[in-house]
Amino acid sequence: MKILDFIILVDTKAKMSLKAEASKLYLSFLWWIIEPMLFVLAFYFVFSVLLQTRQENFLLFLMCAKIPYMWFSKAVTTASASIVGNRGIISQIDIPKTIFPYAAIQITVYKEIPVFLLLFSMCIYYGYMPSIEWLWLIPLIVAMYLMIVALGLLTAILVCYADDVRMLINMSMLFLMFTSGVFFDISDIRQPLQGYLLTYNPLAFLCDGFRKILMHKGTYDLQHLLALLGIFSIAIAGLHLLYRNLSRTLAARVVNA
Amino acid sequence: MMNPILEAKNISLTYKSSDKGFFSTFKHQALKDISFDLLKGETIGILGKNGGGKSTLLRILAGIINPTSGKVICAPATTRALLTLGLGFMPNISGRENAMYSAMLQGASRKEAKAILDEIAEFTELGEFFDQPVDTYSSGMRARLGFATAMYTHVDILFIDEVLSVGDAHFRKKAEAAMLSKLTGEQTCVFVSHNSDQVNKVCSRAIWIDEGIIKEQGDTATVAHHYNLFMQAQ
Repeated sequence: MKILDFIILVDTKAKMSLKAEASKLYLSFLWWIIEPMLFVLAFYFVFSVLLQTRQENFLLFLMCAKIPYMWFSKAVTTASASIVGNRGIISQIDIPKTIFPYAAIQITVYKEIPVFLLLFSMCIYYGYMPSIEWLWLIPLIVAMYLMIVALGLLTAILVCYADDVRMLINMSMLFLMFTSGVFFDISDIRQPLQGYLLTYNPLAFLCDGFRKILMHKGTYDLQHLLALLGIFSIAIAGLHLLYRNLSRTLAARVVNA
Repeated sequence: MMNPILEAKNISLTYKSSDKGFFSTFKHQALKDISFDLLKGETIGILGKNGGGKSTLLRILAGIINPTSGKVICAPATTRALLTLGLGFMPNISGRENAMYSAMLQGASRKEAKAILDEIAEFTELGEFFDQPVDTYSSGMRARLGFATAMYTHVDILFIDEVLSVGDAHFRKKAEAAMLSKLTGEQTCVFVSHNSDQVNKVCSRAIWIDEGIIKEQGDTATVAHHYNLFMQAQ
């Protein structure tokens, strides 16, 4: 399949799935905004009201990391189940299996667009005006996307071999939420632990990067980001080769499951 | 002599599953040592009772799964597809959008898929329903949409698995005529059925498969006759 046909098919599948999903709900597309905001508000209530967290502009502070984290979590979780979830199609046609995780991820990309726009609006509301530094968000979002693709492709294969992996993914997402500075400032963690978290947990580095740009007009460690972009790109290329070699093996596993 | 477009050489397939627990596996040999050639423009019929390995063989020939041993030789540029009713259909989406997506899944570009939408709409006789969500369709209407989408997507080798029982009597007749005209043309096809009359109508050659092995292959009328005798004795 040509790359352009692949991209168009992924996009068509994602748009149709979004339409199908929205048509089942009374509030339709509004849920794209409502759902993440309810999560943010629940966290705000627990940490700001109940636990009295002393963080300036805590709602925005929370949104800056919680929104990227939720994108990551939802995208990887849905991508991991995407191949087994398309058993019907896979049993009837020889098609690149990468289509399914990519389409699942593309759905979350479309859903995140209004959510990120809301985040930017909230920044303006809190007085953090757009500046030239905001352009540093672009490589950060690209890195986030590549990380999601790499992990989505990997977990989708693993789930074909053992459904148990889905349980591990759910637990890992919870662990990552607690170790990525979603509801605390990573700079409050003592060294050398802080350094370890930022170096070895890419999600912590990326969430921290969003806050640095949106709330502090600063930027992140560019060298570290370039390293992450390189690692994720190599991982994706390797996974594409693996998918090509395993295409029919995956089909047999899914069809016979 | 014409070169084969597809060659099946000593195909065997054994299913393994671990549904009885981590240390216990269940094995079943679905196909044993299947060999035959398929020539360009030819329609071969595969006969056999349900559960005899016909659909598994079709999946291997269509390149969906690999055999455990043996191989399928087919030029890399050859497009192959299983004629599937309602491939990837989403219930909350209109018939038009589903037909387009399904055609794209079967190898058509978006432009090609869009170009055949009017023909599909006309063939299905769905009228205004074509732009309504598929979950408002009756099962017959869904089958009509699925059949038309599959029929209008062009591939080099078409694999057809028991699809002539779609819709009401009027549409069945229309579907059979459409398929016959496609198969008597340039289309290379492997047609699977447990019904020897259908195979007799559309195929020049037949292969009878029982319990994963080839019982007989050759002239359709002879193979179909022996198959019928066998089935009557069952």
